[in-house]
Amino acid sequence: MLRNQLTRRIGVPLAALAMSILGVVAVAPGSPAGASTSYQSAHAGGTLKLLATQGSGTLDPQVNYTLQYWQLYQATYDGLVSFQKVSDAASFQVVPDLAVAMPKVTNGGKTYTFVLRKGIKFSNGAPVTVNDVRSSLQRIFKVSNPNSGSWYNVIVGGPACVTTPATCTLNGGVVVNAATNTVTINLITPDAEFLDQLAVPFGSILPSTAPTKDAGSVPIPGTGAYKFKSYNSSTGIVMVRNPYFKVWSAAAQPQGYPNEIDMNFGATVESEVTAVQNGQGDWVYDPLPSDRLQALSTTYAKQLHVHSLTANWYLPMNVNIAPFNNLKARQALNYAIDKNAAIKLFGGKLLADPTCTILPPGFPGHVPYCAYNKGSGSTYNGPDLAKAKALVAASGTKGDAVAIVVINDSVNSAVGQYVQSVLNSIGYKATVKPLSSNIQFTYIQNTKNKVQISLSQWYQDYPAASDFVKVLLSCSEFHPASDNSINMSGFCNKSLDAKMNTAETLELTNPTAANALWGQIDQQMMSKYAPWVPLFNPKQLDFVSKRVGNYQFSRQFYMYVDQLWVK
Amino acid sequence: MVSFIIRRLISAVLVLFAISVMVFLIFFATPGVDPAARIAGRSASPAVVAAVRASFGLNRPLPIRYLLMMEHLFIKRDLTSYVNPNTPVIPQILRAAPVTLSLVLGAALIWLLIGVLGGVVAAANRGKFIDPLIMFVGIAAVSVPAYWLGEVVNYFTQSRFHSSVFSWVPSSGYVSITTSPVQWALHLVFPWLTLAALYAGIYARVLRAELVNALNEDYVRTARAKGLSERRILVRHALRCSLVALVSLFGLDFGALIGGAALLTEVVMGLPGIGQLTYNALQSLDLPVIMGCVMYAAFFVVFANAVVDVLYALLDPRVRVA
Repeated sequence: MLRNQLTRRIGVPLAALAMSILGVVAVAPGSPAGASTSYQSAHAGGTLKLLATQGSGTLDPQVNYTLQYWQLYQATYDGLVSFQKVSDAASFQVVPDLAVAMPKVTNGGKTYTFVLRKGIKFSNGAPVTVNDVRSSLQRIFKVSNPNSGSWYNVIVGGPACVTTPATCTLNGGVVVNAATNTVTINLITPDAEFLDQLAVPFGSILPSTAPTKDAGSVPIPGTGAYKFKSYNSSTGIVMVRNPYFKVWSAAAQPQGYPNEIDMNFGATVESEVTAVQNGQGDWVYDPLPSDRLQALSTTYAKQLHVHSLTANWYLPMNVNIAPFNNLKARQALNYAIDKNAAIKLFGGKLLADPTCTILPPGFPGHVPYCAYNKGSGSTYNGPDLAKAKALVAASGTKGDAVAIVVINDSVNSAVGQYVQSVLNSIGYKATVKPLSSNIQFTYIQNTKNKVQISLSQWYQDYPAASDFVKVLLSCSEFHPASDNSINMSGFCNKSLDAKMNTAETLELTNPTAANALWGQIDQQMMSKYAPWVPLFNPKQLDFVSKRVGNYQFSRQFYMYVDQLWVK
Repeated sequence: MVSFIIRRLISAVLVLFAISVMVFLIFFATPGVDPAARIAGRSASPAVVAAVRASFGLNRPLPIRYLLMMEHLFIKRDLTSYVNPNTPVIPQILRAAPVTLSLVLGAALIWLLIGVLGGVVAAANRGKFIDPLIMFVGIAAVSVPAYWLGEVVNYFTQSRFHSSVFSWVPSSGYVSITTSPVQWALHLVFPWLTLAALYAGIYARVLRAELVNALNEDYVRTARAKGLSERRILVRHALRCSLVALVSLFGLDFGALIGGAALLTEVVMGLPGIGQLTYNALQSLDLPVIMGCVMYAAFFVVFANAVVDVLYALLDPRVRVA
């Protein structure tokens, strides 16, 4: 998933911070799952003021691919299914939303039949009909949704829609019956992740009158507890209660608490933090500045919330050019990097955990495992420089020049300089190439730029192993000479690709076995090919104002803004 | 004279054209900047990128794309952003302009007042303690960068003393004068002072130097010989002549600031003006907005220069043939 700012955590290790955040961790997960408990109307009302340095592009839920707005869409749009709106791990569960129940899956996993709920209205008063469902699915292609060619083209008629979006019909792919209120979706091949893909905001059901191109700054009516009243990409967003909303399933779309939710843009992150301290704002979207963390964790500890994220910071190595086209060189760097040193630069061990695997902990398929470790053991113990140096010598790449491409902010640059020092210590001639955060992500993908190694981050789209392993390391995601080639390592291994396909097929019939296979692929990928140096799994740090209550965290979409109390 | 004005205007248009071409070329020459890849989104398939490329007309040759962008910007005036589709660029600039204008007008009043007062007092007290003191404060104000001063001002007004002395300071942002003139002024007081500090310092120093020169001129000696008071000589004779330099300086500074040179102050103080619009567009590599802002800023700078040149030509015939 794209984050507006890919660098979310910034910091300097501080003993005081560590101590007080320990206290916070004890507080935060204790908050009740409000969506599952009954609605407390005494807390309803008020205006919630969210702060962000800037907007994040189009407001169209079928186009926008940023966490900043996905977080807001939870309260404004619904799909046929959605991720359950409860705290922590259960938030990875997909539940029926606009559909009465989970779909009936027939035809060997290729046909999904949904029954649409009756009586639900859009925020413009129009009833939600099966025709809206069909047009919304067509619209995914008509607006050239980022993943229309990688997720939704599994629908019959999808590939044609990707090439000629304007004339997209999905004939045979989406069949609706107004009499029975059913929607039948036919897939080309069975797809175990199809429901996850329908549950993210791209799968939102919108009125059939919605424009068939990116609506940009013009809000599209939705079915959630709130609607977008106005959007100005340079000043802010205003969300108010949807007058037509009635709770049909609190697990899918609970009633919200504030009467109005504003997100204001334009202030620097420093002023945002100050505003929340002063009670002039309620929450800071942007990563908190490192120089404020200590004060926050001592004076405002009760207003800080820390949660693990299913995300990865890693160093993709280009397996097609020297020196990392040599397996031993890649393994050497895996042995040499001290992940804890990188974590220190990131903000300390309470803001991240070291990792040796591609899949983050808590994610389907994740198996604790560490191929390149000091001594043995499945948890990370530290670097082994002797082994690293021996591998570099054996690889014959000693003395090679290596440039590491990083984002030019303080944390990324610091980690880059650390990697540079490690590369130098094992015999390379390393340089750091810092680039603007706006350019680095696409720059490192393009083979024309001949990037040898870079520092990158990946945050999950939905909880499925393929979202890390297949998206980031399969042959199909490697596109030479394109700014869109998310497999930055350029790694393509036919036998592992075949295994990924097997695992995906297996997900349909035996998810447990499939996840075990994904775990094996992860281990093989690292032990036999080592296309990355996985560094650490970051955590989310939320700072809310004193008046805010009922903080709840979704592992899928992070803090539920609409569940916060300001009264 | 007419031919001079025409020549000057043609060269102004040529400068604007050259700037637009440079912005366009620099943008597309930057690696990793492909707008289609960015619009299509992370992990988009090549087919989707191709569809996006076609829908934004990014598959056409560079000169055509340039001409189309200029047509949308200047002739159809419906150029829209890459990052915020359906958001036309020109209304964004028109919305941001009053913010910048509010900031710069208020700051200009303050810096003119302080700058002129400081320069006059320093010149009048040459050799006394107060002269180097004012000049020292002036150089300090010139040396302090606006982004640093702004953050320090924010720290004191919003954080350190917010619960005591500065409890009346609203959180950073902008309220339009039509919504509430009082809130408009309250929101802008510290941004005005922050921006004015630098220019007040420059103007005080420039004016002092001009005044000191003027006070050595023959006409001042004549005035003294006539028995006029020192005060009258300073204000009515020396200051009037010295202000000429200040006025032309002011014309250029004002043009540049209205055009977006107050970027740092706007960003630090959270004011959604032209500077912040430019800054955000650069952050998100939104070429249409960058182009709109740059052309807007360039227009003010080039236009202000042209006006100054024409005025000079009117005053001094020697310039016309140059």
